[in-house]
Amino acid sequence: MNWPLFKKALSNPLALAGFIIIVLIFLLAMLAPLIAPYDPNEINVKAILLGPSMAHWMGTDGLGRDVLSRMLHGGRISLLVGLVAVGISTLIGILLGAIAGFYRGWVDVLIMRLVDVMLSIPSFFLILAVIAFLTPSIINIMIVIGLTSWMGVTRLVRAEFLSLCEREYVMASRTLGARDYRLIFKHLLPNSLTPIIVSAVLGVAGAVLMESGLSFLGLGVQAPQASWGNILTDGKEYIQFAWWLSLFPGLAILITVLGYNLLGEGLRDALDPRSGHRK
Amino acid sequence: MLKYIIKRVFWMIPLLIGISLISFMIMHLAPGDITSNESAFNPKASEESRQKLREMYNLDKPVIVQYGLWLKRMATLDFGKSFASHQKPVFWQTTDKDGNVTKGLIQEALPITLMINLLGLAITLLLAIPLGIIAARKYLGWQDRSITLFNFIGFSIPGFWLSLLLMYWLGVVNNWFPISGLHSLNYDSLDTWGKIKDSLSHLFLPVVIPSITGLAGITLFVKNGMLDVLHQDYITTARAKGLNEHKVIYTHALRNALLPLITIIGLSIPGLIGGSVIAETIFAIPGMGKLFYDAVLMRDFPVVMGILTIGSALTLLGNLLADLMYAWADPRVRRGVVKG
Repeated sequence: MNWPLFKKALSNPLALAGFIIIVLIFLLAMLAPLIAPYDPNEINVKAILLGPSMAHWMGTDGLGRDVLSRMLHGGRISLLVGLVAVGISTLIGILLGAIAGFYRGWVDVLIMRLVDVMLSIPSFFLILAVIAFLTPSIINIMIVIGLTSWMGVTRLVRAEFLSLCEREYVMASRTLGARDYRLIFKHLLPNSLTPIIVSAVLGVAGAVLMESGLSFLGLGVQAPQASWGNILTDGKEYIQFAWWLSLFPGLAILITVLGYNLLGEGLRDALDPRSGHRK
Repeated sequence: MLKYIIKRVFWMIPLLIGISLISFMIMHLAPGDITSNESAFNPKASEESRQKLREMYNLDKPVIVQYGLWLKRMATLDFGKSFASHQKPVFWQTTDKDGNVTKGLIQEALPITLMINLLGLAITLLLAIPLGIIAARKYLGWQDRSITLFNFIGFSIPGFWLSLLLMYWLGVVNNWFPISGLHSLNYDSLDTWGKIKDSLSHLFLPVVIPSITGLAGITLFVKNGMLDVLHQDYITTARAKGLNEHKVIYTHALRNALLPLITIIGLSIPGLIGGSVIAETIFAIPGMGKLFYDAVLMRDFPVVMGILTIGSALTLLGNLLADLMYAWADPRVRRGVVKG
């Protein structure tokens, strides 16, 4: 990681705000087992649908489970799914984009046509269809979201490689007889890292939204395992009697996704020299 | 132009073949085959329906033959019959030997989804274009900053959550709008005016809420397009020759700033179609999204595969239309001077 650039990025107030939000949410999620006041799956028939109070800051749900504890534990799942899914899609994107941009020719044509095909299948349909044939589980959700969202990174890496290959230092290195892997890993990839990081950060925002949407539909993280999306599904059932069940998980998703979006856009502004031309 | 259209249509063939391959692979993802119990197929399904599924997708034949037959199905738009919905045809109506017409599931659902999405898109554009222009003209001013803030929230808010809250607030608490379906129960007894009013009030929430969440992207796009155009020489020329600002913005800049919007709308089609799943499920709208969701829950594979394919074909068609419109609007693309 390039620290001066990172510092420059965080001098952007939006990026800094996003960064702080994300760090806070990660801390809360990681410390969940320590700070959660109750067992997230503990059913308490004497405390069904209680509103927010000192004992239950975010109230309780239809089975008397503490919503705050479920939110904290659910956050771990939502954040994990976002990160792993984007990890998968970014790795695939770098691999395919690097091959297409470096070797060009028919491999490039083939990979880019595959990108076009994937982009023309509505991704939500694709994900739901895959889940219809498999069984919904956290692992499957992460893999499926990852496998259906690598196209943007591929295009990005390819474009970077195509333009970097024309640079003199790369040509010089090639002339000196550098092998392909050296060119790719020492010269091309490190210099394309900035846009990849920006797209990954924005990608996590999309993946968190996607997971919560799937869980909301009942096709994502399965009960009793909590995730922000499936707490909201319960909230939908009780919306007339228990507003807290719908409000808090939605806010948590909004704040997390906002954090990633702010950080991503802030990084883009700070790291992309082209974005400064209007100022 | 004709040459361009022909080229562009032929371009779709490899994509369609790719789509057929991917959908075929998805069908074979299930452990064992899709009729076995290890897969998610309903364990209560009878041996008879399993056999039907095997016959329908020719699961007893070699894989390459299966794919050929799947390709044939796609080419003839024959997606078979639904398991769950009383053997209704998946795509288009069929007439039996007595002359009874059974409407296809997609045939019934598609116009509803198209109507809702087109209305939503119209609202989005009506709001996003003026907002984008304001943000660009007052760049870095308070108007621009508030629009930017709004955009960030619009990008980040889960659409289903917003739908849920507004449905509760506008529909349940205040009872201003009906919260589910397309018509009231007494729809047939209403006069024409009453029918229009009833339909509009049912459409309000499912049309307006997705267009609010779609607003952010389009606004940002109009703003950036406008900013790029306003820095070009011909705008400086227009200003230098003394044109008033109104004329510079609306007759010189806007047309060029809005051009890329055509492409963006084309590209947003898969998102709109896919996004209809959640919106239609929440508001109980009998469109493609709801049909798809129900089919996924019931493991109604013919419907799942049919909608997946038709949804992709629609996306290709939408992109084709967008490209043709772009070429029509921008002579440079049409004549091959620049790439669209």
